[in-house]
Amino acid sequence: MILFSVFSSIALVSSVMVIRAKNPVHSVLFFILVFFNTSGLLVLLGLDFFAMIFLVVYVGAIAVLFLFVVMMLNIKIAEIHENVLRYLPVGGIIGLIFLLEIFFIIDNDYIPILPTKLSTTYLTYTVYAEKIQSWTNLETLGNLLYTTYFILFLVSSLILLVAMIGAIVLTMHKTTQVKRQDVFRQNVIDFKTLSIAQKITQSDPK
Amino acid sequence: MEFAPICVYLVISLLLSLILIDVSFLFASSSSLAYPEKLSAYECGFDPLDDARSRFDIRFYLVSILFIIFDLEVTFLFPWAVSLNKIGLFGFWSMIVFLLILTIGFIYEWKKGALDWE
Repeated sequence: MILFSVFSSIALVSSVMVIRAKNPVHSVLFFILVFFNTSGLLVLLGLDFFAMIFLVVYVGAIAVLFLFVVMMLNIKIAEIHENVLRYLPVGGIIGLIFLLEIFFIIDNDYIPILPTKLSTTYLTYTVYAEKIQSWTNLETLGNLLYTTYFILFLVSSLILLVAMIGAIVLTMHKTTQVKRQDVFRQNVIDFKTLSIAQKITQSDPK
Repeated sequence: MEFAPICVYLVISLLLSLILIDVSFLFASSSSLAYPEKLSAYECGFDPLDDARSRFDIRFYLVSILFIIFDLEVTFLFPWAVSLNKIGLFGFWSMIVFLLILTIGFIYEWKKGALDWE
């Protein structure tokens, strides 16, 4: 419970700092901190594999992409001159709606202030099936993903293929006048039989 | 708890990084910080102190995206490797098909020269 409070409070504070930080790079760093704390929360839930995926994918890759975008945008320090209160009505209404929805979803037992449906909230139950045979996350995923849901698995590979090809097509711009080194061509030249002019033209095809 | 080694690892890495930062503060000789050669341009033409925020090649971004994709591919391999003795030949071959589809993309990338640095 203490760990939960630590992780969730640090996550909340740093997610506020993502928005409020003046330097965009600092807000990306706070974003990474949010992900670290969220993966701590996932570990507390018992989802160890997903915590690892969170760190590997989000911190290792997505945060790097965010850093690239921030660096490319060429913003030195974000200008927060404008009045924050201007956006308060719209943002506040959206936040209130979100909070209400969360209150509807969450079981009333979790919030001690709200009137609870059951008076016996201290009763806990034990999942006895878990005591007999417990599978880790990895085994559960592995048993289902590659056989029962193999179509979704292959579709995900196709999505990754599309992402790969799309990224290459979007960013590749081959400039033709760049001199490239062709190692094999250089190696097969027989220098004894060539004149100097031929040597120059043969070793440099362009 | 089984995550105790990770906590120990985190604490050690935190301490080590703090020590490394503080040692450089302690032992940096402040007298030699600002002699003029240190602030002049390097031999290669770069300024020693400059804004880190400058435009760079889009290719770094491409490398990062391709890294994410193969990262996810390896992530899919972990549960497969753990439960390979339960899922049988079908699970084995579905992973092989998955790898083949991604290998098509890898061959495309290789032939297109997306990772070449001219």
